[in-house]
Amino acid sequence: MSAALRRLGRLRPTGGAVVAVVIFLALYAIYAASEASAASVFGLTNLFNNTVVLAIASAGLTLVVLAGEFDLSPIGVIAIANVVMATTSVGTLGWFGALILVLLIGAAVGLLNGWLVASLRLQSLAVTIGTMIACEGVALLLLPAPGGAVNQAIVDALTGDVLEVVPVALAVIALVLLVWLVLARTRFGIAIYAVGTDAMAARLSGLSAERTKLLAFVLAGVAYAFAGFMLSCQTGSGDPRASDTLLLYMYASVAIGGTSLMGGRGGVFGTLFGAGILSVMQKMLFALGAASFYTSIFSGLIMLVAIFIGNASELLARVRRQRVA
Amino acid sequence: MAPRDTSTLAEPMARGRAPRVNPELLPAAVVLACAVLLIVASTLLNAGSSFVPQLDAVLVTSIFLVVASFGQGLTILLGGIDLSIGVVVGLAAIMVSTLTNGSNAAILWVVPATLGFAAFIGLVNGLGVALARVPPFIMTLASGISFYGVGLAFTTGLAQRPVAPGLVALMNARVAGVPIPVVILLGFVIVATIFQNGTSDGRKLYALGSSPGAARVLGLPIAALTILVYTLSGLCAGISGILLAGYSSAATIDIGDPLLLPTIAAVVIGGARVVGGRGIYLGTFAGALFLSALETIITVLNLSQGVRNIIEGAIIVFALLLQSERWRVARG
Repeated sequence: MSAALRRLGRLRPTGGAVVAVVIFLALYAIYAASEASAASVFGLTNLFNNTVVLAIASAGLTLVVLAGEFDLSPIGVIAIANVVMATTSVGTLGWFGALILVLLIGAAVGLLNGWLVASLRLQSLAVTIGTMIACEGVALLLLPAPGGAVNQAIVDALTGDVLEVVPVALAVIALVLLVWLVLARTRFGIAIYAVGTDAMAARLSGLSAERTKLLAFVLAGVAYAFAGFMLSCQTGSGDPRASDTLLLYMYASVAIGGTSLMGGRGGVFGTLFGAGILSVMQKMLFALGAASFYTSIFSGLIMLVAIFIGNASELLARVRRQRVA
Repeated sequence: MAPRDTSTLAEPMARGRAPRVNPELLPAAVVLACAVLLIVASTLLNAGSSFVPQLDAVLVTSIFLVVASFGQGLTILLGGIDLSIGVVVGLAAIMVSTLTNGSNAAILWVVPATLGFAAFIGLVNGLGVALARVPPFIMTLASGISFYGVGLAFTTGLAQRPVAPGLVALMNARVAGVPIPVVILLGFVIVATIFQNGTSDGRKLYALGSSPGAARVLGLPIAALTILVYTLSGLCAGISGILLAGYSSAATIDIGDPLLLPTIAAVVIGGARVVGGRGIYLGTFAGALFLSALETIITVLNLSQGVRNIIEGAIIVFALLLQSERWRVARG
């Protein structure tokens, strides 16, 4: 995997992802030093259970951001996925049928977003507000008030650990990373960076910006739906408003992970650590006995710190490159 | 984001001989007309009401969005964004109600202090964007999240605090039959329009938004203008928060959250482009009024919250669709 990472790094050098890893490890070290159970399987399972929803949703968002667009609809898709799981996973569909249904819904919303943005050329930052509000409406129609139940089998299976060694949530995050590493090597993976960097140049070199952005939105939609699926396993019930606070933290994860919100630079690897930072920080502050509002204050500050270090390391790299040249 | 559209710079020169009517006036006027149509429709749907009271009601409820959207519009004009608006609105509302605590005694210093604090958050954003070169999306998101934490620290354990009756009275009083908030709204729209589309500072913002490189060559005070814009945005969010506290007569720290995304929607529906350099305040005002009128008519329809959301989302998408078609025609 390290060879793959190195190759990716050579393709598009950003210091941001490395910075995110370092910050994550540092915060985890402080957390582990002040909380004995932090390094136990139980502690890790708990940590990754808290991370997994944000991590998957932010990973999907990263695709759209890399392609140079914004997406504000994820919380709507997560809400629909959550209420669909809470209303169908126990009944005739079963959990697997419900999962497939949910992923298809995510893809459909992504397709709608992609069509509006890539084909009709609407401004993504505004038009996805519309689809987000409509999605939340659909979620409210399906389940007007918190309730319902999620199939107990997946609630137990996906919040626990594998053979008391690896937290399932960590395995799921690793799976997302694996998908990304494969995706990044495909034609689409390369196109997404090209389109995000300079849509015109990408078009001139034979890449279809429209198709690339469309696919990015569709895959992102699937990821949001999967995040909603994991959220349902965490909570065990449905709440059409459960995802409302997630959106800004998704953008924070993407930014902390070193992905440029202007598009074209970064990647899912950093984003996963960005999400990890936000949740390990919460654990760390709690272990240190800090009041809960410090979590918000530090979330904002750590974003700025990560951006600063990321920018600084990139500047250094550029200076070094210029010297070599 | 897409590369900067250089044609926007060339356009005014190419049309130098055309009559000097702002080409952005038409889309703004159309949105404004749509908003008025919505208000007429909601009057017809709401048996027993007539147009003027309905108009007043929409104008009063739109004032928070109209004021906050001005700041958002300025930052978007520069190709930036302000994601801290929701938090600043909430902080201003909670600050003005906590400090006045249901009495008029402190109102004279509390209101300026609250506005100062809101402008200070904007100033921090501006300094971060202009001097530390943090991307606006990240700077304002980070400061919003952090200041929200600061707000939580000061309000933990506090119940809702009642706001000073003076502010509540202000939001409910009338002068010569016109609600005072409507008077404030009209005054604000006039001042904001003059600033953005009538002063040299406003024109500099358009120059900076359409081409930062050219603005640098021209020697425009880029950093100062950027800081000014973000400070103004914080200030507007502060005004909006104080008015909102007066309107709802009690404040919570989350009270401004539902305003953030509508400010962006209002600006874009009004004809602006998120890459900057485009859009007039009249358009933003029309967009904000349109969204408020939409909210009103949907409430009048007496539908379930889910159906309301679906209609609202669809109409926002539809409004953007109309807007984009118009641009294509205008350019073609």
